[in-house]
Amino acid sequence: MTETEIIHSILSGNTSAFKLLVDKYHKMVFRTAMGFVHNKEDAEDLTQDVFIRIFQSLGNFREQAALSTWIYRITVNLSLNYVNANKIERFFELTEEKILNIFNRRDDSRNPEQRMIDEERDQAIRNAIDKLSDKQRTAFILSKYEELSQKEIAAVMQTTEGAVEQHLQRAKASLQKKISSLVGE
Amino acid sequence: MKTDEYIDDLINREKQTEPNPFLSTVIMSSIETPVAKKMTAWQSIAVAASISTVIFLGMQLGRFSAGDKSTALNINDSEIENFIYYNDETHE
Repeated sequence: MTETEIIHSILSGNTSAFKLLVDKYHKMVFRTAMGFVHNKEDAEDLTQDVFIRIFQSLGNFREQAALSTWIYRITVNLSLNYVNANKIERFFELTEEKILNIFNRRDDSRNPEQRMIDEERDQAIRNAIDKLSDKQRTAFILSKYEELSQKEIAAVMQTTEGAVEQHLQRAKASLQKKISSLVGE
Repeated sequence: MKTDEYIDDLINREKQTEPNPFLSTVIMSSIETPVAKKMTAWQSIAVAASISTVIFLGMQLGRFSAGDKSTALNINDSEIENFIYYNDETHE
């Protein structure tokens, strides 16, 4: 069954055909969401929201772009909305998670001080990614988490490859600047 | 380790995070469960008005059935004073 056939089947009322799309794309959506929220539970919630949105607006899919491009677009939009709407809650969640990570890893051979330093560095990297502009962050996450080419990223972001290259260069420069002082480079 | 390597290391760890194995089942069940339609503003107003009407009618009915049942209790304590007769030792 091709994707087009699956879509037509869903649109004609066969809801169970949607499972084929969920099975094929849910890990892709989850990984992308992880890039934005850095937290498994939030990424799962977002993945669920993304598929509900896909199901509701499948009739609007014009098949001018690949289905995966359209799904990436929805994922990016919902993820950006989510992180921008829950900044304060996410700050407390990530801090709590950081503290739990420091004290709960009994199998970890590192000493607590080293673990704390590593957690601080990880958190600084997450913060630096989160502080990128929406376009830079989107390009960076699609490039690093999904390993998409600049052409594919341009299709998702509905822009040119040149613009994507610029977003990526600026994102990398910004991250270097913010993190290098912390890692002592 | 260079900055790039630290970033790549964190990203690789996050990429390796696996979602809940039942995530696709959870998604399908949320799609197949019919979502209750939100009430329109008029429906909300109608529900609020009918609740208010029922409460008002209940109060009116209560008032109507109770009527004015206030009673005055008259106690003539002059009768009590007659007990002095039994307590008075001169009458024994």
